[in-house]
Amino acid sequence: MNKIKTEFLGAKVSSPLVLPAGVMGMSFSGLNYCVENGIGVVTSKSLTLVERSGHNGPVIAEFEGGFINAMGLCNPGIVEGLAEINEFKQHSDTPVIVSVFATNTEDFIELTNYVNKSQGDFIELNLSCPNVFDEFGIPLAASKDKVAEIVRAVKEISTIPVIAKLSPNVYNISEIALVAEAAGADALCMINTVGPGMLIDKKMVKPILSNRTGGLSGPCIKPIALRLIHEVYSKVNIPIIGTGGVTNGDDAIEMIMAGSTLIGVGTAVYYRGIEVFDKINQEMIKFMDEENYASINDLPKLEKLK
Amino acid sequence: MDERYTLPIAKITKETEDINTYTFKHNLGAKPGQFIMLTDFEGGEKPFSISVCSETEFSVTIKRIGDFTTRLFKKNVGDLMSFRGAYGSSFFIHKKRVLLVGGGYAVPTFYFLAKTLIENGSEITLINGSRTKSEHVFADKFATLNIRTINTTDDGSFGEKGTSVDIADRLLEEEKFDFVYASGPEMMMKALQPVISDNKYEFLFERYMKCAIGICGNCTMDPLGIRLCVEGPVLPKEKVEQLSEFGKYHRKPSGSRVNF
Ligand SMILES: Cc1cc2nc3c(=O)[nH]c(=O)nc-3n(C[C@H](O)[C@H](O)[C@H](O)COP(=O)(O)OP(=O)(O)OC[C@H]3O[C@@H](n4cnc5c(N)ncnc54)[C@H](O)[C@@H]3O)c2cc1C
Ligand SMILES: Cc1cc2nc3c(=O)[nH]c(=O)nc-3n(C[C@H](O)[C@H](O)[C@H](O)COP(=O)(O)O)c2cc1C
Ligand code: FES
Repeated sequence: MNKIKTEFLGAKVSSPLVLPAGVMGMSFSGLNYCVENGIGVVTSKSLTLVERSGHNGPVIAEFEGGFINAMGLCNPGIVEGLAEINEFKQHSDTPVIVSVFATNTEDFIELTNYVNKSQGDFIELNLSCPNVFDEFGIPLAASKDKVAEIVRAVKEISTIPVIAKLSPNVYNISEIALVAEAAGADALCMINTVGPGMLIDKKMVKPILSNRTGGLSGPCIKPIALRLIHEVYSKVNIPIIGTGGVTNGDDAIEMIMAGSTLIGVGTAVYYRGIEVFDKINQEMIKFMDEENYASINDLPKLEKLK
Repeated sequence: MDERYTLPIAKITKETEDINTYTFKHNLGAKPGQFIMLTDFEGGEKPFSISVCSETEFSVTIKRIGDFTTRLFKKNVGDLMSFRGAYGSSFFIHKKRVLLVGGGYAVPTFYFLAKTLIENGSEITLINGSRTKSEHVFADKFATLNIRTINTTDDGSFGEKGTSVDIADRLLEEEKFDFVYASGPEMMMKALQPVISDNKYEFLFERYMKCAIGICGNCTMDPLGIRLCVEGPVLPKEKVEQLSEFGKYHRKPSGSRVNF
């Protein structure tokens, strides 16, 4: 397992695999269950200042190639959410990313003040949820000015490294990534869900999701994630948590080659069970053995785009 | 693929004032203890245990509680409903002397279990409990199975007087069972646990479910982190004994904890 040990913003991690926001991250015990199954870093559900129940069901639907989901940012609120993280930290020294969501700079500042007092290791700004459009409009990650303002404000007061989570649903992701870096982001997490998309029940002639639309995750988004990560990696000098459709060791290796330092694994929990993290760890090691790489840090990256 | 089926309601059977059984013509291929997620695409998708299951049809038996179930009670035969599943763990089929302890709307799932146990040659004793006669379910259906059944109500208005746990306590003083199954309100199962501490057992739990496929984490149980929609809803004694939240709290749709 030494082969897959690495470092991320000064923290030692046992595996480059990250549990992304919104997957199994509702409780201290859910996070711990993923650690027992081989994850290297965990992320909380995106926390908001006030508790949210999320959208009515159905909130998730499968199609060939992936899922659409619109959970609606359900979370117990920042205070209870951080209590779960602190409880997790009593059982584990695995690094925790605290994901937070707000719609304006003031609220992000308030959330950061809470996170500063928690045992979270990193703060991740969810600037990119596609599933609360009716309520909040276009994701913040679509606006360079907003991204700059929020990242700068949070970076100024945060006592822990700041990660910006980017949306794939923009035409200028590299510019937005550069703006986030210039504003002080220590790392990027990308990509959030794609689309959003829609599925229809043919007999009742209704959208399957009660929110009508939902973001795509799973294998179908991997090629999009790889392209966007490579484009952003070519421009920025901060580490990237490459996320989107990673289901096996080969996918994880591709993510690294595209420019990722760590790799998110979310929807794959459905396809391969909670053991998916251990399986991917082993598959990465197998690839490295076969290709004679001594460490995950020795894996080559794609040439940067000019 | 996580298949979804949209079918007309084939039959509605009124069990009590607030409990109906809904039947669909579909080969679900489920095992006893498993559940489906049911929706009408009007807002809300909810988990229900399978109470009857054959190669041609299956049923769910549902208590009217809130928005979704109230809307369901206004539907008629022929109205379309959509479901996915069956999901989750199932009861271990023990082939010897078994005791089934049930309470309220969670009893009907024992009908599916009892039929399967009979096919496997088990010797069954069923305690079918409810608060009062008007809430008692499935007594007629269980009678057709010719198994030893003890009907009981808290107020004595039907069958014996007392809770399911009282009856189980009394039975276990006089007899031995190789395996105990429980399905009912969580506080019933909590009260039952010390009574059956020398026995092997399985309990059927309920927690708030959203995805039902093990991704969202809403249904995890502390401190194990197991997902009730995948590793549950049926949990064995070894797991139940480790649950710190059993009989204490559960999580709301937001993930916030609420005490029982
Ligand atoms: C594995 C499992 C099996 C179940 N089997 C049955 C059954 O066979 N028959 C039956 O009548 N009921 C069953 N339930 C409970 C049933 O899901 C709820 O009664 C139903 O969802 C209530 O919905 P509502 O909108 O009418 O009420 P609401 O007003 O929304 O809720 C009333 C209460 O029902 C529970 N509930 C609501 N939504 C959910 C949800 N998505 N997941 C879990 N619990 C919820 C909560 O405790 C809530 O406080 C089962 C639950 C689970 C988890
Ligand atoms: C059920 C579900 C809930 C999610 N919730 C969040 C969330 O709260 N915040 C967030 O930043 N991303 C959320 N995401 C996006 C994931 O973190 C991830 O970026 C995306 O699913 C792509 O990775 P995957 O294909 O490995 O799942 C969610 C995804 C899913 C499937
Ligand atoms: S309901 Fe989503 S993990 Fe169980």
